[in-house]
Amino acid sequence: MNLYDWLLFFHVTGAFFLLGGIVIAGILNFVAIAKDRRPSQVASLYGLIRFAVPLIGAGLLLTLAIGLWLVNEADYGFGEAWIVTAIVLWVLAGSLGSIDGKYQRQTGELAQRLAAEGDAPSPELRARLRNPLALAISYGSGLMAFAVLGIMIWKPGA
Amino acid sequence: MTLALVRPDSWNLPLFLHVLGATLTFGATATVAILAFAGRPAESEPALWLRGLAFKIGLFVLVPAWILLRVAAGWVDSKEFPHHEPGWVGVGYPVTEGGLLLIIVMLILGRLSARKRETRTAAVVPWLATIYLVALGIAWFAMSAKPGA
Repeated sequence: MNLYDWLLFFHVTGAFFLLGGIVIAGILNFVAIAKDRRPSQVASLYGLIRFAVPLIGAGLLLTLAIGLWLVNEADYGFGEAWIVTAIVLWVLAGSLGSIDGKYQRQTGELAQRLAAEGDAPSPELRARLRNPLALAISYGSGLMAFAVLGIMIWKPGA
Repeated sequence: MTLALVRPDSWNLPLFLHVLGATLTFGATATVAILAFAGRPAESEPALWLRGLAFKIGLFVLVPAWILLRVAAGWVDSKEFPHHEPGWVGVGYPVTEGGLLLIIVMLILGRLSARKRETRTAAVVPWLATIYLVALGIAWFAMSAKPGA
């Protein structure tokens, strides 16, 4: 196995961490919003999303750092359209994911507070969970990361 | 410096679906493991609910993701290696097919553990999911680093 093979393995590992983490967060988020759940249930689900956060963080770092190294090692150009597009989508996905992460943390805190205050269904919590803008940001960032996977495979213009 | 391999365009769609299926399988298995570990303590109030969720996600997300992974693997394999496949490709089959057996056992035990608060099966399900995560890691090492190629 040469350096290229090892770099590709760590790059793919980063992609699995990133996309796997997004899938975990996406599934748990969907379960939380799919039904009218008690605040304690929402708090449990949002508490479990925290396990996806280090995966997503490590995935973001590995995919970019090793990806840039691979561009150099595999003799691609940093100005090639598919590489520039992938980096732009990576930055957008990461930025939107960060906004979404803060919003979800606040929602989890609200759910915890409501659970401690009687665990009654709350219109405020329901509105936060089903906020269309927050959902668009959340699922949009995930779809962008999967779009990068498509770009990595098709390499349009390479 | 290494020149990257250029593959024919007709391999791209099956390869994309294969990798998509693999990432969805990894994420769904990890979700089952997280929910099953969280639902393991019998004394915790939401234990049965969390175990039930682990079962449903196994059935409605993990199984379809596994089917996508396996069908696309066969498709890309038939295009890339129509006659004889190298050893690193062979690593994928025990992981997917052995994985199916593991998933079936996990689903059966997951369903049983969601019915009864005090049961040993609740302790087995998260570890089966963890074993499958390790197996998937071995497969993605073989598929990406291609040892022996």
